[in-house]
Amino acid sequence: MSQSSAPAPAAGGLRVAGDTNVGKVRTTNEDAMIVDPVRGLYVVFDGMGGANAGDIASQTARDALKDFVVQRRASMEPRALLEGAIQHACLTVFNAAQESRERHGMGTTVVGCLVVDAKRAIVGHVGDSRCYLLRAGRLQALTRDHTIVEELVDRGLLSAEEAERHPYKNVLSRNLGAKPETRVDVLDLELKPGDRLLLCSDGLYGYASAEAIQYLLGSGDAPEHVARDLIDLALRGGGGDNVSTIVIETPSAAPTSTQVVRTHGAVAWWQKRQRFLQVAKERGITRNPICRGLSADEALDLVALSLCQAIFHDLEKSTGVNVWTFAQNLAGPWFERGGEWAAVRNLVDILGMSARTVVDEIRAADNNLGFLLDIAVSRALVVAELALGGLLAERLRQVDADLIHVHAAIGETIDTPPPEVTFQDQPTVPFLRPDRPVTNSGLTEELVTAITKTLTIARARTSPRAELVKQILTALETIAVDASGNFASAVTAARDLYGVRSVDDAGVMPLYDALDSVRIITASSVHQISASDALRAKVLSAISSAHQRLVNAVTGLVLEAVAPFSERLREVQGVTGELRDQVARAERKRAELEKKFATTIDQSQPWDKRGTTEW
Amino acid sequence: MSDVDLIEAVSVLRDEVLDTVEHGDRDPPGAEVFQALLRALSVGGESVPGLDLQLHDSVTRRLAWGDSEEGVLADAEMVFDRLMIAVDRALRDPADRMVVIEAATQVAVTVARVVALAAVGRAARDRAARLREELAQRQLREVLEKQRSSIVRLELETRD
Repeated sequence: MSQSSAPAPAAGGLRVAGDTNVGKVRTTNEDAMIVDPVRGLYVVFDGMGGANAGDIASQTARDALKDFVVQRRASMEPRALLEGAIQHACLTVFNAAQESRERHGMGTTVVGCLVVDAKRAIVGHVGDSRCYLLRAGRLQALTRDHTIVEELVDRGLLSAEEAERHPYKNVLSRNLGAKPETRVDVLDLELKPGDRLLLCSDGLYGYASAEAIQYLLGSGDAPEHVARDLIDLALRGGGGDNVSTIVIETPSAAPTSTQVVRTHGAVAWWQKRQRFLQVAKERGITRNPICRGLSADEALDLVALSLCQAIFHDLEKSTGVNVWTFAQNLAGPWFERGGEWAAVRNLVDILGMSARTVVDEIRAADNNLGFLLDIAVSRALVVAELALGGLLAERLRQVDADLIHVHAAIGETIDTPPPEVTFQDQPTVPFLRPDRPVTNSGLTEELVTAITKTLTIARARTSPRAELVKQILTALETIAVDASGNFASAVTAARDLYGVRSVDDAGVMPLYDALDSVRIITASSVHQISASDALRAKVLSAISSAHQRLVNAVTGLVLEAVAPFSERLREVQGVTGELRDQVARAERKRAELEKKFATTIDQSQPWDKRGTTEW
Repeated sequence: MSDVDLIEAVSVLRDEVLDTVEHGDRDPPGAEVFQALLRALSVGGESVPGLDLQLHDSVTRRLAWGDSEEGVLADAEMVFDRLMIAVDRALRDPADRMVVIEAATQVAVTVARVVALAAVGRAARDRAARLREELAQRQLREVLEKQRSSIVRLELETRD
């Protein structure tokens, strides 16, 4: 479900477009936007709060902010106007939240841009929606997220490394609606020709890399295409959240060579596709091992024509996304089947040489177009190489991990000391027994579906770097939908989680931090599913029970891992006691012998000197 | 239901959850967990990082008095399970149930964290004690060696 605002010819020759999409996981879109070229007002809101209150919060803020600007525009200075409008929206959402229990706690982030003229804009924000500026091909974030962790880092209370691992790194420190007023960060920005501003919700940057955003924003495409492509990018990255984008472009000085290539190059390239296929066939593409099992026509169609299409679309839109995807789709499955790198290299070389042959022929007809097309096709091939490089790096990492694993296994065999942590088939901790019965929440198909949805949303809301949290969420799903009525699934999941952690604070406590984060994420994610309150309560109950079992199983493993330390101490204490006994016995024997020796010596003395021997 | 009413409604479940009839005047197992739940409800689920120090204190005291770590965990699990059943029956509004479940999960994680902290601390102390014992053993072996050599010497002397 996508809603886009029509491309808008704004004041000062600016071009503006916005787009929003519900994403792949959520059922409702809690984002809201203002695209008002007449007043130069562009705003993105990202609502939050249970019981569908997130969309109410963002829509309430949107209406309040717009009304304020419309009414006060003539009488207020732009900077004060934007700040005042955001404060007004905050108060309005807060008041609305007090009206009913369902809306209690609702709020929204905001990032807004008030374009004064072609040379000046005011940017204001609260929360973690962002504003980016692309200037001279370089992307920079103009806003800094208002999260608790970011503020602790700013105050020097946390390091950047600690912030990365902090369980509350996604918790907002400010939003509209939590309090009657909030602190707004406002920036006065001088615009330059060719600048592009991007306003977006976290559904974009949470699922797309900064490099990809920079690439699309700098593509030279019209804002409406860029806004839509950015949304597509986030959806390809998982689309776990609502995503909204507004692209604002200041007029640039002159048409670029990129536009020339886009207009004519793509058409010229596509017209030559049959020639491209012919050259590729002549160079032996159909004999490549990757094409084994395919007829010649199928091989040409699936491999060569696909690349031809990808280059065409990338030329048309000045992106590299299609070629990137082509290369990944070509090589990824091949590598997964254990295919050789040489086959991929050969295929890419054939396709590259075929493309250059076609470009040379175009150059012969139109030198300038051929020259520009050569650059564009070269760029496409570089993109393909980069995609392959990424796959190879991933493969290398996998091989490295396997080697480390094998090396560790060999080391364990050779070295005599046993590992510190070993899990036993017969656990020493009573409640760690897999067959121990546990209460079951009475699973129904509806409940299982709702649990799965909730945990999918929770995973989507988790930072890609929070591997442990994601692992716990997956484990929770297994435990929560397990109908066996015993502790086995919790114990198995806990063993996977525990792995080979060291038995100290640094080894164990991150697990509890992650479990705490999961508790918070799941409790809020359950409000995101479309279900009755009664079903939500059941879902939360089932997930919480699973969470409690997992926590106890993990703690049981900690106790089991700790137990050998006490046992070893007792063993060592036993040895010490035995040694002390031996020393005592030896001392007694030595004393007896000394006494005997003294008597012997004494008796060997002449009669008159006996009894005078000193020892 | 307001926060105060909700705490009141959960307090009423104390006897059922802790099975106080069974334990008479004695503090029933898991009482500290139930108290922690009421405290968690009274702070309104604020996501402030940190431990419930009172719960930390109660659990640590139980361990210091000789209760096993497994026992503390088992009590917390029993309270959690019984609470789930009692809440499902006693609270009609799903929103109220969810508030209590969230708080109970928070308390469960905290209890487990305190127990794990105590266990890991114990392991560190045991490891240090073992090192001391091993040092003492080395000294005892040296003494024993000396004693044996002087015994051998004395036996030779006395035989002559």
